[in-house]
Amino acid sequence: MSPTAVLYVAQAIHGLAYGMLLFLVASGLTMIFGMMGILNIAHASFAMLSAYFCYQVMLLTGNFWVALLIAPVVAGVFGVLTERFLLRTVHKQGHLAELLITVGIMMVILEVVKIGWGTESLVVKIPPSLSGLVNFAGVTYPIYRLFVIGSSIVILGIMALILFKTRLGKIVRAAVSDADMVNALGINTPVVFMLVFGIGIWLAGVAGAVAGPLLTVFPGMADQLGMDAFVVVVVGGFGSLLGAFIVALFLGELNAYGIQFIPRLAPVLMFAFMALVLAFKPMGLFGERE
Amino acid sequence: MRNNLHKWILGGLAIILVAILPRVVGAYYTNFFLAFAIFSLYAVTLNLLLGYMGVLSFGHAMFFGIGAYAAALALTHIKGFPLLPVVLVGGLAGGLLALILSPLLVRVSGTAFAMLTLAFGQLIFIVALKYREVTGGEDGIGGYAIPPLNIPGVLSIDMTDKVNFYYFAVAVIVVCLFLLWFYTKTPFGSLVVGVRDNSMRLDYLGFNLPQTRAINLVVCGTFAGIAGSVHALLMKLVSTVGVLDINNSFAPIMMAYIGGVGSFFGPIIGSGVLHLLEDLVIRFTERIGLVNGAIFILVVLYAPMGLVGLFSAAKEKWFSKGKVS
Repeated sequence: MSPTAVLYVAQAIHGLAYGMLLFLVASGLTMIFGMMGILNIAHASFAMLSAYFCYQVMLLTGNFWVALLIAPVVAGVFGVLTERFLLRTVHKQGHLAELLITVGIMMVILEVVKIGWGTESLVVKIPPSLSGLVNFAGVTYPIYRLFVIGSSIVILGIMALILFKTRLGKIVRAAVSDADMVNALGINTPVVFMLVFGIGIWLAGVAGAVAGPLLTVFPGMADQLGMDAFVVVVVGGFGSLLGAFIVALFLGELNAYGIQFIPRLAPVLMFAFMALVLAFKPMGLFGERE
Repeated sequence: MRNNLHKWILGGLAIILVAILPRVVGAYYTNFFLAFAIFSLYAVTLNLLLGYMGVLSFGHAMFFGIGAYAAALALTHIKGFPLLPVVLVGGLAGGLLALILSPLLVRVSGTAFAMLTLAFGQLIFIVALKYREVTGGEDGIGGYAIPPLNIPGVLSIDMTDKVNFYYFAVAVIVVCLFLLWFYTKTPFGSLVVGVRDNSMRLDYLGFNLPQTRAINLVVCGTFAGIAGSVHALLMKLVSTVGVLDINNSFAPIMMAYIGGVGSFFGPIIGSGVLHLLEDLVIRFTERIGLVNGAIFILVVLYAPMGLVGLFSAAKEKWFSKGKVS
C-alpha cells in the first residue's frame, strides 16, 4: 500500500476506536434518557470517576486487568446510589429538577476528583501484552486501540443480546417506549430504572477506564467525553440506540479525518454538523419523541 | 397602606445604601457589588425563561458572552466609540443571536429545549475559542479603553474613575431590571406565563404561541447581552473561558434556583447569596464548586422554590393567623 493509503487506514481505525468509546458512553446516556426522560449531565463525570478508580486500583494492585474489572463496577454502584437517593427523590418534581440534580452531581464529582487526585494529568500504564504495534497488510497500528475496538464490540454484543433476546431486555425496551404502561402491567419500574441507570453508568465507566491510557486521566476528561457523547445523543435522536451507534461511529471518523485535514476546525465540525441536523430535524436523526 | 409604607422605607434605605457604598467600602467590595449586580440581571433574564416561560436555557452564556464580545470588539476596533452605545451594542448582539436561534428554539420545550440551548452554547464557545483572529481565543480581548460618558454640550464624565463607573453601571442595571419587571407586568408578560401553564388553551384562544415564545426569548437575549457588555466594561477583559464557558451558563441557573424561580426577585437574592458564599468560602478552600454543587443539590431536593419559596412558606405558617383570605 502507498503511504497515503496507509495513513488513511490508520486514521480510519483511530476514528473507529474513538467512535466505539463514544458509543459506550452515549448508549447509557440515550437509554437513560429514553426510559426516564433524564438528560444525565453527570454521565461523563461518572466515566471520569471510573478512570480515576482505574488509576487508583492500578496503583494498589499493579494489575491493569483487575483495575479494568473493578473500576466500572464501583462507578456503577455510585450510579445506582445516585439514582436511588437523589433522582428518585426529585422524580415527582419533573424532568427539569432531575436534570438540575445531575448538574449538581457533575460539579461535586469534578471537585472531589480534584481534591482526591489533584489537577495534573495522570498516566495509566498499559500492560506489556497490550502495548506495542501490530503489523498487518502494511499498516502498523497500536495494539491498544485495537483492544479498545475489540472489547467495545464484545461488550456491545453482549448488551445487544441481553436487550433483544431476554425477558429483561424486553421489559427495558418496553419501558423506553412507555414506562407508565409497563408499570401498570405490574412490573416494578423503579427497580428497572435503577438497574438501567446502573448499567448505563457501568458502560460509561468501562469507556472511562479504557480511555484512561489513551487520553490520560485528568479533570477535563468529563468535559471532553461528555460533550462528544452529548452531541451523539442529540444528533442520533433522544432515546435511539441505533441512531447513537451510527452517529458515534460517524463522529469518530469525522473527528479523526477532521484532525488530519483541518486540525483547527475539527471540534467546530462536530457542532456544525449537529446544528445542521437540528435545523432540519429538531428531534435528531432517529428520534421520534420530545 | 402600612404595608406600602414599609416597602417605601425599605426601598429608600436600599437606595441610600447603594449610593454610599463606594464611599464606605473599598474598591474590592465595590467591584464585588457590581459583579453581583451584573449577575443579578443575567440571572433574572434566565429566570424569565425558566420561571416565567417554563423552559431551561442551558447555554445562556452565549447571550451574555456575545454581548460581552460585541462590546469589547466595538471598543477595540472603532475609535471613539461612545459609552452608552457600547451597552446597546451588547444588547443588540444578544437579541440578534436569540432572534436567529428562535425559529429552532420555539419548536421545542422541556428537556429538548435545554439540550438545544446547551448545544448552541457549546457551538458558539468552540467557534469563539478557535476563531482567534477575532476573539483572541483563550487569551481573549483586553486593554481597550473605557470611553467617558459623554452627552455633547452638557457633560462628560470620566469612566476610568472607579466610583463614577460604579454609579453608571448600577444605573444601567437598575434601569434594565425595572424594564424587565415592568415587562412581566404587561399583558404580554402574563401571556408568557400562560404559555408555561397551559399552552394548549392559549393556542385555542387564538394567541400565536411560537411568536410569543420568540419575543420572550429575544427580550431575554437582549438583556443578557446588556449584562455581558457591562461585564466587559467592568472587567476590561473578555475571554472565551471567562464569558462563554459552560460554567457561566450554570451560574445563573444556580442563582435562579437557589433564590427561587417562582419570583422576579428570587434570582437577585440567589445571586447575592452565591456571591457572598463564594467570598466566604474562598478564604477556607479553593474548591468553591464543591460547596456550590452540594448546596445546589440540597436546594433542588428540599427547597424546589428556593429561598423565596422557603421564606413565603414560613410566612404562611407563622404570620397568617387571623387573616381573612
